[in-house]
Amino acid sequence: MRRSVIAIAAAVLALAGCGGEAIVPEGQGAHGHGASTAAPPVPAASARFNDADVTFVQMMVDHLQLGISLSQVALAKATRQEAKNLAGAINTTQREELATLKSWLKLWGKSESGGADLHAAHGGQPLLDDKVIDGTKEKNGAEFDLTFLNLMAGHQGAAVEMALAAKKDGQNPETAAYAERVVSTRQGQVSQILKIISEP
Amino acid sequence: MKLTRKAALVTAAIPALVLITPVGSASAHGYVSSPASRAAQCAAGVLDCGPTGPRYEPQSAEGPKGQTTCSGGTRQDFEVLNDDNKGWKVTNVGSTMTVTWTFTARHATRDYEYFIGNTRVGFVAGNNQQPNNPTSHSINLGGFTGRQKLRAVWNIGDTVNAFYSCIDINIGGGPTNPPTTTTTTPPPTTTTTTTTNQPPVGGTWAPNTAYATGATVTYDGVSYRCRQAHTSLVGWEPPNVAALWERI
Repeated sequence: MRRSVIAIAAAVLALAGCGGEAIVPEGQGAHGHGASTAAPPVPAASARFNDADVTFVQMMVDHLQLGISLSQVALAKATRQEAKNLAGAINTTQREELATLKSWLKLWGKSESGGADLHAAHGGQPLLDDKVIDGTKEKNGAEFDLTFLNLMAGHQGAAVEMALAAKKDGQNPETAAYAERVVSTRQGQVSQILKIISEP
Repeated sequence: MKLTRKAALVTAAIPALVLITPVGSASAHGYVSSPASRAAQCAAGVLDCGPTGPRYEPQSAEGPKGQTTCSGGTRQDFEVLNDDNKGWKVTNVGSTMTVTWTFTARHATRDYEYFIGNTRVGFVAGNNQQPNNPTSHSINLGGFTGRQKLRAVWNIGDTVNAFYSCIDINIGGGPTNPPTTTTTTPPPTTTTTTTTNQPPVGGTWAPNTAYATGATVTYDGVSYRCRQAHTSLVGWEPPNVAALWERI
């Protein structure tokens, strides 16, 4: 197993043709966008990574997509403005993260899919799936709000757990920095949600 | 010599085992989110519960079944949950109360138990099914009155463990004390519900602040315009999230 990781890492290095330096994926260079948008550079992943990095990023791709799906339902159905604002912010920030993570997997030569199966192998059924998200569409008003907030608190709480594990076991510096941001932003979101729930 | 060789073989086998061990421990976790349990108060930042533990993982107060603690007794950084004198927010309730759980993963449930002291005041069978979301239970508090600690226990169906969540309550708290009067709101968030349509002009970006679309801030000497209404948080600094802030 270890040997195969080294082999893949070596292959990526060989492909990249530069020993361990950060590799900027095509079209995502720091100066690739028009100057007027002044968007921050998309963090490019370096070629030094291990299985824990890949597992975390693959699981996060699945996790981000589910969070986006749930947010979209909430954008249409939430009645409390705080809940709707949170859904909107999660929707757009997670889309941004998703694009970054997909570019890393492409660079590493790893599949984008498989995250859901990994979740199952890493501690049981994930909280969200398409069926659970569809089920929220049947609810309305305050009942919908509570369901959405409750599900999102659990979903983002699970992201904190995954990111803490990745920080411990991963090797890739960009993944570690991203994991750190996942911990702080998801903790912040859970904190916001718990405040909304406790202040009806 | 033989023993040494054997030991070397065993040692060599360990890294392989470590590599195939799942990244995280089982994460069939959960906690009581409403009324705000002790762990939920830690996660909401109502109280300072330390740099790790329930602030980041309110769902992880886990331990073998049958504990009488609020922490589950497994992790040192969850011991704070057992401190009865920490100044936990107390929720006023009647003789019956509704308890709502938040789960981070679905997992087969044996049952839920609710205790005041050593008295079990509530039991809900789980039938080894995965819980619904949200899961709410109506608990009859069995004639107890006054200030009490309700210990909620989620017994997992296919592991030896349970999750523990303590809620501080005042039973029959009296009509003069509406349930929400004890809510503590950190100063920066007091404008959360009122500023949605009033973009602040200028000012330095700060976390836990409600920003409306069009609001402008400065961060590290650079000006940004809010692209989407949101309440800011650490990690969503303007240069980090182009989705939320546009440089101007």
